[in-house]
Amino acid sequence: MDKTGEVLDEESSKHLIDRPEPRYFGREKSRTRSDKAFSGTVVVAALSSLFVLVAILIYLATSSWPVLRKEGFSFITGSTWIGGLDDPTQQVFQIWPMLYGSFLNALLAIIFAVPVSVLLAIFIVFIAPKSIARGLTITVDVLAAIPSGIIGIWGFLVFTPVAEGWARLIHKYLGFVPIFENNQDQFTRSPFITAWVLGIMIVPIITVVAREVLAQTPQDLLDAARGLGGSLWGTVRMVALPHARGGIVGGVMLGLGRALGETVAIYFVLNLIFERVNYYRILDPEGGSVASMIIAKFGDATPDEIQALLGAGLVLFLLTLIVNLIANWIVARSSRERMA
Amino acid sequence: MTSLKDAKFEETFKEPQYPWRKRNPATTFTNSIIVILPVTIFALGFFLTEIPGALLFILVFIPVQIVVAIFATIWGISRKQVGDAILSVLSLVAFSFVIALMGSVLFSVFSRGLPAISISFLSQNNTYISPTTELGYGGVGHALIGTLMVVMIGMIISVPLGIASAIYITDMKGRLAGFVRFMVQAMSGVPSIVAGLFILAAFILTDISGFSAFTGGLAYSILMLPTVARTSEEVLKLVPKDLRDAAIALGSSRARVIMKIVLPTARTGILTAVILGVARVIGETAPLLLTTSNTNGTNLNPFVDAVATIPVYIFQFLGSGYPTAINRSWGAAFVLLSTVAILFAIARIVERSTKKG
Repeated sequence: MDKTGEVLDEESSKHLIDRPEPRYFGREKSRTRSDKAFSGTVVVAALSSLFVLVAILIYLATSSWPVLRKEGFSFITGSTWIGGLDDPTQQVFQIWPMLYGSFLNALLAIIFAVPVSVLLAIFIVFIAPKSIARGLTITVDVLAAIPSGIIGIWGFLVFTPVAEGWARLIHKYLGFVPIFENNQDQFTRSPFITAWVLGIMIVPIITVVAREVLAQTPQDLLDAARGLGGSLWGTVRMVALPHARGGIVGGVMLGLGRALGETVAIYFVLNLIFERVNYYRILDPEGGSVASMIIAKFGDATPDEIQALLGAGLVLFLLTLIVNLIANWIVARSSRERMA
Repeated sequence: MTSLKDAKFEETFKEPQYPWRKRNPATTFTNSIIVILPVTIFALGFFLTEIPGALLFILVFIPVQIVVAIFATIWGISRKQVGDAILSVLSLVAFSFVIALMGSVLFSVFSRGLPAISISFLSQNNTYISPTTELGYGGVGHALIGTLMVVMIGMIISVPLGIASAIYITDMKGRLAGFVRFMVQAMSGVPSIVAGLFILAAFILTDISGFSAFTGGLAYSILMLPTVARTSEEVLKLVPKDLRDAAIALGSSRARVIMKIVLPTARTGILTAVILGVARVIGETAPLLLTTSNTNGTNLNPFVDAVATIPVYIFQFLGSGYPTAINRSWGAAFVLLSTVAILFAIARIVERSTKKG
């Protein structure tokens, strides 16, 4: 009774007091001069993010233009890097090993992070008692706030020895599988370890998004599943996950963007090889990362080389921008679908 | 009165109800078996054999746990719930995994960083210090000052811009509101190294400025702005519309409504937004390597010459590889993590006091 009364009340009142939205900054003539100045300032300030994005694009493109023009498309498809020479015509700057390495690291990190984060989100939303769920939510937030430099030092000094042991075991028993080959008898500084460190960084990002969309599963649907005698697993598989799919995919893309842009942590845990692409041997101490390359090469770079690094930054910027736009689009679309 | 009613309404009807949460005493026995048996087998294996613990955990504990859970479920509850059992075990594994990783990160920073901390470590700078100098001499004082300057400059630039973006989206609802929000989101994805490269290309390579705290602050402000804008937007949305209407009805100018009514009402929330923005950037190393460079002495001038910062200090000593240098890195990591923790604690206290008030 109370419920229907409440709902009716709300709806009817909404209909009755449906007043026009007051326009604080309308285009009517009554605006005072100070209002105009104020709103002008706010508009300019609000567009600062646009200015910054455009400025990043312009500055990186123009300052790296000489190198980009000279290398052409092979800047991103070639695997040679010859810098630091007196004769600028002899220098070659190509970043394919780094670009491929960035993707390999990010892909491996996602393979590791997605199951963990989705299971964790399911645990928080559907399984854990309230108090634990609340504590876990805070824990995930804290994990997200740990600076990447600290994950880097931990990954380098604490985690690498542990993961090296795992890598040796995997190689010993599964070494016949091509991706677990390793002929160098060194198991540190590999894409495998990098992927773990990156995965630890993106687990909280994916978990936060997945938890939010899973928690928005409509109660009606959950009730219906219960009415049909659905178990927890059945409900999660048939109701909650399909409902949250778009949001989770968006969260994964956000994690991908973060993994592509990570710099310092990768610099410490991965051996960067600039002239050779390690396509699949994930236990080998060879890998690449565009962002880490910039740090690794910056210290003693010649002016030409810095131009090439700016070009690498431009490629990275465009990549992460595209990944992020797709992610936000997916999240927004799926949340619109949920509202409808 | 209404709020009480609303709360009751919420409690009765909006609270998600998950049927599988209901426990009856008969299942308690089953549950205890599910918990005790695998732990016993794991403990036996751990103490009686030479197999390493992690391997034992992955190859013995988890499979045994799943099998036991399956049989206990079939025997104690129903065949239909087997999927539940597996899902519960796997999600518990994910849970303990994340807790273990986080515990490991925090524990290593705490246990290895704390011994390095002393008054001199926090106050002295790095002049005349080599990677092999004993821990009693030199410290992060200069880097603390540098980080403070860089973060302050980042705040001074990004906070007004971020709040203005939020005002534009929530209060002015201008024609470009959707576009501005979209841009802020796009900006939040800019990798920190790209922010550093941009400042490098725009200010340092063009000789407008050298390496300085100012250029570092500019790079930080690019990374802070999206966080500040998005959090303030959430906060400004919570300011009641009636307040704005009342102020307008009393004849205030639109600018006054925002400056005197909306922002003061939301001030604690905006403080939270600023703190979250600072916490987001304070550990970023990559942009500072490109914009502030590094130095061993204390530099109090934010516009001229390189400054040291905590993240770059960690980077510098970690790269050198000597044991004492690495201890310095851990000490600096401890300082950094404590700063982030303090910032978050303040944000939480502020948030809580707002909710009460």
